[in-house]
Formats: sequence, structure tokens, C-alpha cells
Amino acid sequence: MSSSPMEVDSQLANGSSVVAAAPATAPPSKSGKLAESLKLEHQLLRVPFEHYKKTIRSNHRAVEKEISAVISGVSAAADSELSRDEAVDQLSSLVSRLQGLKRKSEDGSRTEHLQAQKCRARLEHLESAELENMSEWNNTRMKRILVDYMLRMSYYDTAVKLAESSNIQDLVDIDVFLEAKKVIDALQTKEIGPALAWCADNKSRLKKSKSKFEFQLRLQEFIELVRGDNNMRAISYARKHLAPWGATHMKELQRVMATLAFRSNTDYSFYKVLFEEKQWDILADQFKQEFCKLYGMTLQPLLNIYLQAGLSALKTPFCYEDDCTKEDPLSQEAFRKLAQPLPYSKQHHSKLVCYITKELMDTENPPLVLPNGYVYSTKALEDMAKQNNGEITCPRTGFVCDYTEVLKAYIS
Amino acid sequence: MELNSIKDAFDRVTKKQKLSFSKSQEVIEQIGREIEQAFLRLQSEQDSASPSAHKLILNELKTKLKDIAPLSHLEGTQKELNVGLSKYPKLLEKSFNPDISKAYRNIDFDLHTVNQIIASHFYREGQFDIGDCFINESQELEAAASKSPFLEMFQILEAMKCRNLEPALGWAARNHDQLNQNGSDIELKLHRLQFVEILQNRGRDEALKYARAFLAPFATKHMAVFQKLMACLLWAGRLDSSPYAELLSSIHWDKLSAELAQQFCNLMGQSYESPLSVTIAAGVQGLPTLLKLMNVMTGKKQEWQTMKQLPVPVDLDKEFQFHSIFVCPVSRDQVSEENPPMLLTCGHVLCKQSITKLSKNNSTRRFKCPYCPAEVEAGQCAQLYF
Ligand SMILES: [Zn+2]
Ligand SMILES: [Zn+2]
Repeated sequence: MSSSPMEVDSQLANGSSVVAAAPATAPPSKSGKLAESLKLEHQLLRVPFEHYKKTIRSNHRAVEKEISAVISGVSAAADSELSRDEAVDQLSSLVSRLQGLKRKSEDGSRTEHLQAQKCRARLEHLESAELENMSEWNNTRMKRILVDYMLRMSYYDTAVKLAESSNIQDLVDIDVFLEAKKVIDALQTKEIGPALAWCADNKSRLKKSKSKFEFQLRLQEFIELVRGDNNMRAISYARKHLAPWGATHMKELQRVMATLAFRSNTDYSFYKVLFEEKQWDILADQFKQEFCKLYGMTLQPLLNIYLQAGLSALKTPFCYEDDCTKEDPLSQEAFRKLAQPLPYSKQHHSKLVCYITKELMDTENPPLVLPNGYVYSTKALEDMAKQNNGEITCPRTGFVCDYTEVLKAYIS
Repeated sequence: MELNSIKDAFDRVTKKQKLSFSKSQEVIEQIGREIEQAFLRLQSEQDSASPSAHKLILNELKTKLKDIAPLSHLEGTQKELNVGLSKYPKLLEKSFNPDISKAYRNIDFDLHTVNQIIASHFYREGQFDIGDCFINESQELEAAASKSPFLEMFQILEAMKCRNLEPALGWAARNHDQLNQNGSDIELKLHRLQFVEILQNRGRDEALKYARAFLAPFATKHMAVFQKLMACLLWAGRLDSSPYAELLSSIHWDKLSAELAQQFCNLMGQSYESPLSVTIAAGVQGLPTLLKLMNVMTGKKQEWQTMKQLPVPVDLDKEFQFHSIFVCPVSRDQVSEENPPMLLTCGHVLCKQSITKLSKNNSTRRFKCPYCPAEVEAGQCAQLYF
């Protein structure tokens, strides 16, 4: 066991990589890893752009509508028998209407411009990520992820406070979520109007994604009419608002119509559930999902997605032992609990961490074996020997030996 | 990150938006002009003029507006803008991972647990206002328990920023025994810093008094440091031009602040880094691998939901490596209590099962190490503890 193992080792290391079932790709470099992690930032660019797009479209629609209205105003004036004074009045009101439109369209353009700036700020933020400033950039990312969580859970005050205190307003979507807040707040007080208005606003896109959210809102409104014993109104409501969905959602339609016979005090659980309070919470959740889809967001908070991936990547059987180091998040009960249903990580190569220094033991800092079989890094034992006249004490067993008695271990 | 093509695409969109805006302004102005002209003509007409005269003006205006066809004017630019608006998201989808939730298991985290983790994250980062706001808004009032220890730590650190070491020294004195036990010499480092401050600002006599009271107890254990500090007395008030000028560097303050935070967390039984930040950072590194895995696992979504171990290794930086993992180079198995790592007499390490196989289950039969020419006996292999 002189120096020969090392040489043979390196030869075999090449050969054994063929044996190993590990993926053939080399481990990515630091900059490769950075690029990979930036590719996860789709939502950061997508959401403000969807917002921008939405503003442009609705501004444009408003302009078109006003212009049409002015033109038909002229036609109407021409086609009717107006006195001269009436005609003068009519035209002057059209002129001021156009002036109003011009102002409104300028305001709209300013909003569009601000939103475009936000899109650009995010592009620049992504561009600014470099290996040299990673710790600061990661810090900001952590805050962005937390703001996203707050917004999705409707903790708006915390979201605003966190964004302002870290000066990252341009990198988070508070304005977008405030639009959702109106609808969610209304649903929580059993008011359906804002949700329906939102559906009307986004009609074509909801249709494209085959969303049945509006149908569900209509069903709930129908149920409320049945609950209030407004049978005639319920029936005419159903004719007007539910029937159009019959072609695609007949089953649900029939089920809800049947409640007319059973009323809200029914004992049939199949129907009873439709009258439960939690239906409103379900609607609010459904709305959040539709809302996120529309803006190109993930349906889960980013925090949950990254937490899950991180916990799986960190989870080892050793994490649940008492001597799991404090620096390991999985040494904490809360993290263990979250990780419990998640898979363990997998390793294809040995990675040894020194019990004393917590540093990786590799060719630069190779593992040494004490006569009792316990392994520590060269750095740790060298230091210990220096401080104690060559004497080594095993921190886990109290075993004492001399530094000359330790053996080098070769890990391939 | 190379974003030029994306930035160009975005610039095209904003350009089209500006074009579309100026076009609509133009159209609005044009309509306005026509109406105003008609308006002036109407006004300038005699009151006595025949009713058909102003009707004629209105009809002319109607025809003119019809000829201008303002809405069709808007169409062209709007169409171009629409192309840009639908192209850009497609480019984003192509350049990025459009759905990072693809590898998400449909498991709901316990909201309570997540919120508690977040609350203590805010507190340990010193964001006390935000932490308070969060526990109020999320109704996790019991999470406030994690606040007070960190509050003390940040008060000490804040004081240090103003060059006030009193709170830090008080803390170190209170925890003297435990710090000693952990092998930390932070108390001495704090006293040294204080001594230098006094020497520089309040003169030799005060410094000497301080040294007698607080540095002397360290004299035997830290002889060299102690002697160096005593020598500083010779340069009272002009330490900056002495061989010990280095002691005045503000680096010592920054370093000591960091070390104090570390020791403070250590005594609390907490990690130095926020466990939430560590996990999220590990998630960011691991997620690309998991997403790639999902691309090859299409159709096996169900399998993914119940898997007990990831099917591929996730390569994390070494700061995320908290445990020793030994993978036997022969069998490729991760070692366990039943199948521990064993040291061969040549220095190579294999798992127990591989040794049993190589030696044909005979503890005295010699076999060749697969990694070197040495011949070894299974009976002489010793179990390792990492
Ligand atoms: Zn662990
Ligand atoms: Zn060998």
C-alpha cells in the first residue's frame, strides 16, 4: 500500500466509468449550472408580458369602440331630422367625446409604456446574473419566490412590505395579483359579479383553454336561487345561463337541475354537497388556477416547487438520524415533516464529508482511517496532531492513537 | 445569460405598439378634424338657411367618414402588433423551461409547517417587521416564538456596526462555559477588539486597566496574542503608524460579526444559513435534472408520484453535501448498515457484499483487489465509519 494504488486507481477510474450506469454527460460546469437555473425563470418574463399584452388589447378595443360610437353618432345625426342648433350641439358633443378618447388613449399608452419597462427590467435582471454576483442574485431570487408565495396565499400586506423593503417591485407581480384580489375577495363574501366580469373580460382566452369556470360560477348562482326558494327565477336563470353549456357539460347540468326537486335541506349527500359553504372556497381556488393559467404562471407557488425539488435532492437516510448536522435543513423537524412523502436522493458516486470539518474529502484532502475504523479528513487530523503533539482522539468514540498509525483510504 | 434575441424580439413588439398608438392617434385626430370642419360650416350658416342645408353638411360628413374608413386604417398596424404579441411568448417558451412544475408531485405541503418555516426565515434574516406582518396576516401567531433569540443576535450585531461591543461582550460572558466547550475563542477576540478601541481613543491608562481586568485571564492559554496586545501599549494613540496598525482594520469588525452570528446560531442549536434558503438553492440546482427526467418519463407519471428514491442522481454543489455517501465502485450500491464499507489492506474501499462475492464467501481465501495488484484476505478487511 505505497503510492501504487493511486496510479492504478486513476487508470481504473477511466475504465470503470464504462461500467457505471451513470449518464454519460460530464457534470455541468459552474456557468452551465447557472444557465440551467436561469432557464427556470420563464414566469419572470412571461407574466409581465401577458399583463402588457392584455393592456394593449383592452386599450385597443376601447379605441375601436369609441371611434365606432362617434361614427354612428354622425350617421344618426345625418339620418334624423335635427334643427341646425341640435346638429351643432350633437357635433360639439362628438368633438369633446373624441378629445376624451384622445386623452384616454394617451393615458393607456403611458400604462403600456410602464408595463413594457417592467418587462425590460426583468430581462435586464436575468442578464445581470453572473458567477461573480451569484450570492446577491440568489438572495433576490429568494425574496422574489417569497413574494410570489405571499401573493398566491393572499398575504398581500407582507408581499408589498417585502417587495418595498428589498426594492424589487419591478421583479414581482403585485399589480397583477391585485386584479385577482378583487375577484377572490368578492367570492369570499359570496358575491359572484366580479368573477363573471373577469370571465367576460377574458372570454376568448378562457374559451380557447376550454375553461368551464364560468359554468361553475353560473351553477353556484343557480344553487343560491334554489336555496332561497326562488324556483321560477332559478328556472329562467337556468334557461338563460346554464342551457348553453348543456352540449358539453350535460351531466353536471342535470345534477344541479335535480336540486330543484330536493331543495337545500336534502339529505342526499350527492346533492347536499352542492349546497355546502365550501363550494365558495372551491370556486375561489378554481379562480386562482384559471388566473395563473391565463398569465402563464405555475399553478403552485414557486416556493412549493423549489422546496419539493430541494428536499428530494437533499434527502438521505442519514438525515433522520440524531447526529444529522445542524447545517442540514433536514435536521429540523419542520423540514423532515415536509420531506416525509418525498423520494430520497440518489448518488452514483461516493461523496465523503469529514465529520470534524464538514468539508468534502477528495484527492486534495483525502480520507484517513484510524485504527478503530473511523474516517476523518487529512486536514482535520493534521490539525489535531499539530495541536496535541501527534496525538489523535476520535471525537466519536474517544479512542486515542498516534498520527503515524492512521492509514490512507482510496475511494474510487 | 444570452438574451439578445429575446431582447430584440421584445423591442420589435414595443416598436409595433408605438406605431399602433400613433396610428390610432392619427385616426382620432383626422375624424376630429372632419367633424370640426362640419361643425364650423354648420355654425357659419345663416339661421334662416333651409333645413336641407345643414342636413347636407351632415350627410357629407357621414360619407367622408365612411370613405376614410378609420377602423380599417387601424387594422393593419394592429395586425402586425398582434403577430409580435403572439410570437414573443412562443420565443420565451422555446428559450426557457415553460413549465417548471412538471416534476411536481401532487402532495400538499402542510400550510402551517411552511408558514412557520417562512416566519423563522424572516426573523433569522433580521427582517423583524416583515416577520411580524407575516404572522399576523397568516394567523401563525405561535411562530413568533422564533423571534426573540434572533432579536438579541441582531441587537448585538447592530451595536457592533456602531462600534459598540458592550452587548457582544455581555453575551460572550454569559455563555463563557459553553463557548469554551465548543472550542471558540470569540470572547478573547471581542476583548482584543475592545482593547484596541480603548487604546486608540481613551489612552494608555484606560487600556492597561482593561487589559488587567479582561485580557489577563487569557494570558496563559493565548500567550502570543496577549503579549502582542501588551506591546501595543507602547503606541497608545498612534497605533496607526505602528507595526500593529493592522489591528485597526475594519475587516476585524466584519469578520468578528460573522463569527459571532455563527457562534450565536450554534449555541441556539440553529444552522448558520437559513435552512429555507439552503433548501430553495438546492431546489434550483436540482430542478433542471428532475425536469429532464420528466421528459423521458412521459407516460410514467404515476410511477413518479410514488417513487421512493429518485431514479437519477441529482448533482448538487458541495455546500449541499451534509452526509458521507459511499457508493461501492464494484456493485454501485450505496452502503448501508447491513452492507457497510470495508477497508482492504491495500487501502481501497469496497462494500461488504462485494468482498464476500470476490472472496467466494471464504474469509481466508486470497483475492486480487479490483483496483490494484494487491492480494487481500476478506478476514483482514475492516469496517469503516465515515
Ligand atoms: Zn441530513
Ligand atoms: Zn487495492
